[in-house]
Amino acid sequence: MTSASIGVHADRPAELDLVRRLKDPALLLLPALAFLAFIYLLPLIDLIRISVSGPSWSSYFARVFAIPLYWDSLVRTMQISVTVAGLCLLFGYPTALLIHRSRGIAQVLIATAIVLPYFIAILIRTYAWMVLLGRNGPVNKLLVSIGILSEPVQLLFNRGTVLLGMTAVLLPLMVLTIYSSVARLDQSLTRAALASGAGPIAAFWRVLLPLTLPGMGAGFLLVFVAAIGFFITPTLLGGPGDQMFAMHITQQADSVTSEGFLQALGVVLLTITLAVVAVAGRFLGFEFIWGGRKLTEAAPRATDRHAADVGRRSFGASLADLFGWPLLRLFGRLPASCGTWTVRLMGGLVIAILILPIIVVMIISFSSASYLTFPPPGFSLRWYEQFFSDSNWMRAFWTSLVVAAMSAGIAIVLGASAALGIVRSSIRGKSAIMLLLVSPIIVPPVVLGLSLYSLFLRFDLVGSTFGLAAAHAIGGLPIVVVILSASLQGVDTRLEQAAAVHGASSLTVFRLVTLPAIMPGLAAATFFAFLHSFDELVLTLFLSSAQLKTLPLMLWGDINYRLNPVLAVVSTLEVLLVIAGLVLARPVLATSRRAT
Amino acid sequence: MGEPAALRATRSSDVNVRTSPTGRLRERDAIGSSIAVRDAVKRYGSFHAVDRISIDIEPGEFITLLGPSGSGKTTLLNLVAGFQSLDSGEILVDGKPVHNVPTHKRGFGMVFQSYALFPNMTVSQNVAFPLRMAGVDRATAERRVAETLEIMRLTEHAAKSPSQMSGGQQQRVAIARAIVRRPRVVLMDEPLSALDRRLRESIQIEIRDLHQTIGSTILFVTHDQGEALTMSDRIAVLNAGKIVQIGRPLDIYRHPTDRFVASFVGESNLIEAEILQKRGSTLTMKNRAGYVFSAESRDTIDVGRATVLVRPERIAVSNEPNANSTPVSVTSAIFLGEILRIEAQMEGGEPLLIRCTDMADRPLPAVGDRLHVSWGAADCWVLA
Repeated sequence: MTSASIGVHADRPAELDLVRRLKDPALLLLPALAFLAFIYLLPLIDLIRISVSGPSWSSYFARVFAIPLYWDSLVRTMQISVTVAGLCLLFGYPTALLIHRSRGIAQVLIATAIVLPYFIAILIRTYAWMVLLGRNGPVNKLLVSIGILSEPVQLLFNRGTVLLGMTAVLLPLMVLTIYSSVARLDQSLTRAALASGAGPIAAFWRVLLPLTLPGMGAGFLLVFVAAIGFFITPTLLGGPGDQMFAMHITQQADSVTSEGFLQALGVVLLTITLAVVAVAGRFLGFEFIWGGRKLTEAAPRATDRHAADVGRRSFGASLADLFGWPLLRLFGRLPASCGTWTVRLMGGLVIAILILPIIVVMIISFSSASYLTFPPPGFSLRWYEQFFSDSNWMRAFWTSLVVAAMSAGIAIVLGASAALGIVRSSIRGKSAIMLLLVSPIIVPPVVLGLSLYSLFLRFDLVGSTFGLAAAHAIGGLPIVVVILSASLQGVDTRLEQAAAVHGASSLTVFRLVTLPAIMPGLAAATFFAFLHSFDELVLTLFLSSAQLKTLPLMLWGDINYRLNPVLAVVSTLEVLLVIAGLVLARPVLATSRRAT
Repeated sequence: MGEPAALRATRSSDVNVRTSPTGRLRERDAIGSSIAVRDAVKRYGSFHAVDRISIDIEPGEFITLLGPSGSGKTTLLNLVAGFQSLDSGEILVDGKPVHNVPTHKRGFGMVFQSYALFPNMTVSQNVAFPLRMAGVDRATAERRVAETLEIMRLTEHAAKSPSQMSGGQQQRVAIARAIVRRPRVVLMDEPLSALDRRLRESIQIEIRDLHQTIGSTILFVTHDQGEALTMSDRIAVLNAGKIVQIGRPLDIYRHPTDRFVASFVGESNLIEAEILQKRGSTLTMKNRAGYVFSAESRDTIDVGRATVLVRPERIAVSNEPNANSTPVSVTSAIFLGEILRIEAQMEGGEPLLIRCTDMADRPLPAVGDRLHVSWGAADCWVLA
């Protein structure tokens, strides 16, 4: 086609050049980049600008670090985040192995038990823990009935529940990250170790563990980074002594007097997050954020990397030799099956922790009691009736649907074109662009909400449906880009070439070959972008108004005000929505996992 | 390819094995074990992957499990390795049942189709792995690794990462890892199928020679009949979870027991023919085209119809008819270098495949040409 145009337009090379440039797939990146520049980068830059706008650039920061309240909270946030990431790693690894080692229907069930909670809103999963651990909850009842306690006690609002709740919320992320690195390994490696005389524990120590170390690192850091910015779970499950840094930002945001200081708080949180990610990216490659493979451009350096890798790893191996062998001999005395049993027990515990709260909440939604108690004294649909007849709830429900649909629309249009641009163009700096597109995932939502708030004030968007949908699309966009670029990379370009050779124009090729191939990915991306917006709370807290209340916002208000079974109804509906979505997206998840 | 040097290196290492200070590697360890499989059954649901297989493997034998995919050969190998457990039956190594012995305590060596080299270790660390697991001290291990790398001509690659090597080199590392402990049994699961043809042929010879020098019992799985014929002391042909025939390569090729083996191993013409007469051990037979020929019979057959195997290279071809011949018409003729591969049709429409050596005076037959073919009693084999 190109050669034909050269023949016709040989006398007008400039115009031809323009035409060719307009066909560059790199241009498809522009809408998404423009969108992010305006609604994401600009506000963040503005945030930083305000934070340094004091008498001297550092004066607000000096105040942050001078007040013990904030310094202590920062230290506490770090402690909690490291503990949570550590707990997730400890329990997540055996769970990932359990998924990997089980077969058939058991594998599907276990994987579903992990994936399902992953897509249920943090707010709802935290609420489930409040129900489970409440005074009239099943845990108290159980402890009283078996005689450990004489009367129900307050199990909530302490450091323990914060750690438990956050670990439970973040475990799926850890399990899925580790699972993807375990599943990628050639299964015969473990067999080769066994055939070489390594016992199951030695095979784990010398082969499986070292090879999944990058996956473990990625999981630990992803969980750590998410935990640093956590707001919902510690607010609901923690006591006065468990304030995390992100909570100060929302509290300060209510008092208008602290302009500058507030932004400085946000910048501190942002800086820590970005620093952790930068260090992690240096060692693991930034692909760890989206769990994908390297994009094509990094190929030439591969051999150097390998040489360096071996050097570094053999140092690691000698360390493992030094400390590992004595330990290994000790463990070697244990019966060989105890490794298997450890995996089963810990994995089983994780599944129970993830699934039980959801089940309890679903049962309670059918309670006939007028307050939260488990087991329910009787069953009725009264709370469903109340939910569907309450105009406030229904209005919030519709608002959420509309916002989520709009937001998914924005994310899918911008994200699909950006994914095409990044996979199909040959521009330089693909990794950097991908990093920018995906970065909204790692920015703490509280910081993003804070920065957007001033932008929305300036353009009078606070309380506007479209504004809220656009804000939610910031987080939806990375989901779409990641899923669709994986699907696009899975499309066999030879099929497209075959279609073109046999006479299809480039648009026809896209319609008949490319689109059907990425259709499942497109459907999944749409669903997850929708769900992201439907569940979103933190940005909404900053950007909504009294007239614009979403479902999570209503829930948030009610949870803080009084715990009643209507919330369980909303939770049950959300769980059903996610289940329906997962059933619809199941074939897609299978293929996209293969592609990445 | 420097085979003699490799052999010499191996022999000198044999001496070292005998005088090894660890005491683990005495001379008798360098000799293979016998393996006996008795009525082995492995089911997946209602599917019998291995269906009452029994086989006796002599110490130091090179035995190949040959069969199409799904025939149960890999499952049988996995059962011997201990990756899967038997539903019923037993496996004995040197007369001792092994079903309660976990894989890592069986002391076998194994080579995998995907190489399965540990990517987090260098070549020499990979090869040293079985020794470290066996608790061999570091100095001895280093010496044994160096010897083994030399045998496999990998010495200059010792410090490399497996990912920096070619497929053939990686497979030699995998073999080195499998033999470094001088195991009494080495299992090989389609080790050559990922390699290109030339490399495959050279490693076939290398494995064959290695077997001669280390003396381990080798259980080799492949779906490639050529590979099986080249390498094995004996071949066990598997189909649908059963062993259909076991024997020396020559016997399998010349005297297959049924149509499956006849057509799976080598190229074959299976000709339906009627038995006209039996005199002594010689049958006189007539096929559908009316061609009357004689064949050596087995005792069991005397009257009725039978399938006769005639290998394509045993058919004599001529341009002129003679007393024994029958005419065929050529449907395709391909020049393969030293050999011509001719597809033809007999009078009754039955296809016939012929392989004959290329000769200076014979032009390549054209489609539709008439040729005259014949075969003698020694060239055919009557199937049951």
